[in-house]
Amino acid sequence: MKDLEFFRNATLGQYVDSHSRVHALAPLTKYLGLFALAAPALASRPAYAALAVMALGLLVALAAKVRPAFLLRGLKPALPALALIMALQVLLSWPGDESAVLLRLGPIDVTLAELANSARIAARLAALMVTLGLFTATASESQIVHGIEDILSPLSRLGIPAHRLALVVGIAFRFIPILAGEAELIVKAQASRGADFGSGTRNPVRRVKAWLPVLVPLMLRALERSESLVEAMEARGYSGGLRSRLASYPVGSGEKALRAGLVLFAVVSVILVSRAPSPFGTWL
Amino acid sequence: MKKSVVRKIVVAGVLSAVAAFLGLTRLGYIPWFSGASLTVMHVPAIVGAVLEGPIVGAVIGLVFGLTSLLQAAIAPTGPLDPAFVNPLISVLPRLLVGPAAFLAYAAFRGKLEIPALGLSGIVGSLVNTMLVVAALALFGFLTWDLFWPVVTANGLPEAGAAAIVNVAVVAAWKGVARRGGKASIAAEEDR
Repeated sequence: MKDLEFFRNATLGQYVDSHSRVHALAPLTKYLGLFALAAPALASRPAYAALAVMALGLLVALAAKVRPAFLLRGLKPALPALALIMALQVLLSWPGDESAVLLRLGPIDVTLAELANSARIAARLAALMVTLGLFTATASESQIVHGIEDILSPLSRLGIPAHRLALVVGIAFRFIPILAGEAELIVKAQASRGADFGSGTRNPVRRVKAWLPVLVPLMLRALERSESLVEAMEARGYSGGLRSRLASYPVGSGEKALRAGLVLFAVVSVILVSRAPSPFGTWL
Repeated sequence: MKKSVVRKIVVAGVLSAVAAFLGLTRLGYIPWFSGASLTVMHVPAIVGAVLEGPIVGAVIGLVFGLTSLLQAAIAPTGPLDPAFVNPLISVLPRLLVGPAAFLAYAAFRGKLEIPALGLSGIVGSLVNTMLVVAALALFGFLTWDLFWPVVTANGLPEAGAAAIVNVAVVAAWKGVARRGGKASIAAEEDR
């Protein structure tokens, strides 16, 4: 039954209220920070580069009074998916892989490249999840939406309603944990009635049949919830126009310097991590 | 009467969340014979397009495309995944899923409601498969002779699944609405 609990340990998307200097930054600065950590995490070639990015994220978390253990706990629900990804890495043979074969089990070769790839994927995923977790822990929902509004605001000059797009993204953010809860409820309800989710079968047709009864009620529940949200928004007089903000984010010269520093850091670190020497040779 | 903008925004947001959720938890991927997983992540885009119009479908497709781009960049699960880091392969084709499904639905809606829903599911899904495979071939990740085999092996079962989910969700949802389950202030203006 453990696999039915999707998000019990999910720290991704949970806001941690505290009065740190990181929390006090303007949304746009936080987005720049997210970018400055996520870009090198994605560009990193060897695993240790991604782990260095993760360590940096954890240091920022300390400054933000967010416990690093809280962020690391968020990695737990990703472990099964990660195991699957690593298994696929080892099981499939990759074109152009000429690295040393470490272990031969029948038709399956475990090569150095496959192991290094797995390590890189795991490290990248961990670095990215810590970074994203840090972002959502320090940026409240309204700040996330305000930040997207600020980022997209140049588009409104082209006639694209940026504030509406920002609201779409904000609602999507807000609904992912809600949907996780709903999905868990549906799966449990159906499992309690003896539904088979095809976990023990490799037959793809059975797996498709098993997931349809989850997908359809999930989407219907999502639509029902969206209906009540529409009602609530319209009852408060929203009709798709620009929304005024309660919070204002004054940006001082220190924060402007920080923004420039973050952009510079992103560029330099991407160059560094993508060229970092690999301990396993040149093919990485 | 003009449809409520607020409903369009909310439905786009919520169905985008469904697409992202399916991708993040990998519930949206079903291992399949051909090696490449089947995906049902494009179904929210189809449902959104049918319910709220082509623009909503395109927005949901945008989120779906960005999710698959991120996924390919963070945790590739197959030999083809590195290709999806290219937004022309992962994002652009997905923008067109919703509008195509909407056109197919708009052509037949009214009397033939259920067949129209099924058809829009199939059209939206096939647009997704064919454009993605064509983009893959265009960028040299696949050869063109593989186009029809992939479309048959993955596209057809995906289209079938999309049609079933689309019919089930939209028919049930509209049934609920007709029975008065929809209690919105704007409901009066909508009709």
